[in-house]
Amino acid sequence: MLSSMYILMALGFAILLSVMRVLNFAHAVIYMGGGYICYQLAVVYGLNQWVSLVLAAIVMGLFGLFLERCCFRPFFGDVNRTIVMTLALIVILESAVNILVGTQVRSLPAFASGVFRTGGVSLSVERLVTFIISAALLLVLIFFIQKTKIGQQMLAVSQDSTGAVLQGINIYRVSAVATVIACALAAVAGSLMGAIVSLSPYMGDYMLVKAIEIVILAGIGSIGGVLGAGLILGTIDGTLPILISGSATDAVGLGIVILILLFRPQGLFGHEA
Amino acid sequence: MGRLTKPTVYAVLIILLFLLPLFVTRPYYLHIFIVTLLYIIVVSSLRTIALSGQVSVAHAAFMGIGGYFSGVVSKELGLTPWLTIPLGGFAAMIVAVLIGYPFTRVRAIYFSMVSLFGGIAIVNLIRVAQKWTGAAGLAGIPPLSPINIPGLINITFLGQKLPYYYFTLLLALVSLLVLYRIEHCRIGMTWRAIAQSYLEASSVGINEAGFRVLALAIGCFFAGIAGASYAHYNLVLTPSTFSFLPSIFLVMYMLVGGRDRFGGPIIGTGILVMVPELFRGLKEFAPLILGAIMVIVVFLMPQGIAGLFDQIRAKYGEVRNRKLPGSAA
Repeated sequence: MLSSMYILMALGFAILLSVMRVLNFAHAVIYMGGGYICYQLAVVYGLNQWVSLVLAAIVMGLFGLFLERCCFRPFFGDVNRTIVMTLALIVILESAVNILVGTQVRSLPAFASGVFRTGGVSLSVERLVTFIISAALLLVLIFFIQKTKIGQQMLAVSQDSTGAVLQGINIYRVSAVATVIACALAAVAGSLMGAIVSLSPYMGDYMLVKAIEIVILAGIGSIGGVLGAGLILGTIDGTLPILISGSATDAVGLGIVILILLFRPQGLFGHEA
Repeated sequence: MGRLTKPTVYAVLIILLFLLPLFVTRPYYLHIFIVTLLYIIVVSSLRTIALSGQVSVAHAAFMGIGGYFSGVVSKELGLTPWLTIPLGGFAAMIVAVLIGYPFTRVRAIYFSMVSLFGGIAIVNLIRVAQKWTGAAGLAGIPPLSPINIPGLINITFLGQKLPYYYFTLLLALVSLLVLYRIEHCRIGMTWRAIAQSYLEASSVGINEAGFRVLALAIGCFFAGIAGASYAHYNLVLTPSTFSFLPSIFLVMYMLVGGRDRFGGPIIGTGILVMVPELFRGLKEFAPLILGAIMVIVVFLMPQGIAGLFDQIRAKYGEVRNRKLPGSAA
């Protein structure tokens, strides 16, 4: 379950990084924003929760379109300026949420309730549903990248953007699609996590660290690797807290990532040197 | 009117900073100046590391090492902070060398990311070591011990802003001077060479890994000293002051100020720390001002605020050049 959330976040981050060379620190606030939009629609306006989940994804997808158009495109290829831009987005959006809804922690109602039992193992249905949703989204995404034209164009751009442009690929359109997908995935993850854990303006920071960890562990440019790395980290974070404290778990996880990177600087599944 | 040369401008600025407490008497404003000066040290030392082509995203964590080391040692062993502040700097430096040496295997964005993880891991270890660092933060750090030379001066630091202001001002001036000299001597040139092309640099016999570790060591030493001074000024430390986002914000101060110029971090930190404080009356709207400044800088000043002068000069020169053929025709 934890792994699937990590993977949803990390995939969006990885797509942005490999297609556009953007280190999108604002991914954390998009995740948070998605959760809050879902909360507003479902709890305040009383919409069906599943509808509001989809709407939150659509709204954040549109926001992604705006983001690509106004915040990333003017600085195409300039890493330093995009980093400052995404940090500005963090500051602006976090304070906007603080002003609009306040800093107190909220929680979405559960998407599904009850306990699912099979032969001695009991699972909460909510977590199962969350897992199924994210697994389905991942499958759709992989299908999209492998089988559709624009998905293949995305791969081409991530491998060699100059070469892709020379082949007549519209790099801006590909970037726009990539940003929309990344933001929508983050919004879904934010809404689902909002129901399982809680909503707060700073909920994204922790997930952002995890997403970066996974992307770097997998290797920049490797989308399949994100799945593997996400599973590894999710398992570490899911099981180690039973033995040692939470902060120590983070330190251990980070230590493992650092060690792996020292022996394989291009990441576990990366192809670039 | 005499010609305004750079040294005179700097001299006037420094004298103004020394006279500042005459005009600014509210302790709260002095507090802002003290914090700004400390952060200027940290961000400038971060730029020193960045000179060698590695953008460390763990700098706040090294501040934390210096601060916690100095705080814990002076609290538990009863040493005077005048001794433990440099010791804090050396502690940060030793840690930087220990983890920096293996990190030389990775470059560019991978270095940034690995340092990011390293920084978070350090902060988490500080959290775990609750026996020394306290469950809810380290409290009861002794302030700077009084300087008492009989018949000459008698300065007590506890509860006073003014002595701390002069202490941090002197510390900042000395640190900046040292960093400036290092940048403009042979070591600085070597770092620039490594940043431009590490392969070429090592092919002419430069010990690339060694110089990169040296950059880390020097940068983290100053970060540790600034962190330790902060510990003995604030008297309470919490791990979150040194965690993930503060580290990123340090990088941001550097980028907004301008990475190519020595003055960049000073201007960037000054503006980004102090301007939001001016708008404190707006309460939760204050961060929006910070965001607005960042957006303006990103759109209009590609080289940061310090690069603005170059930009204006370039534009002005361009206009003049364009006019010349027109006037001739």
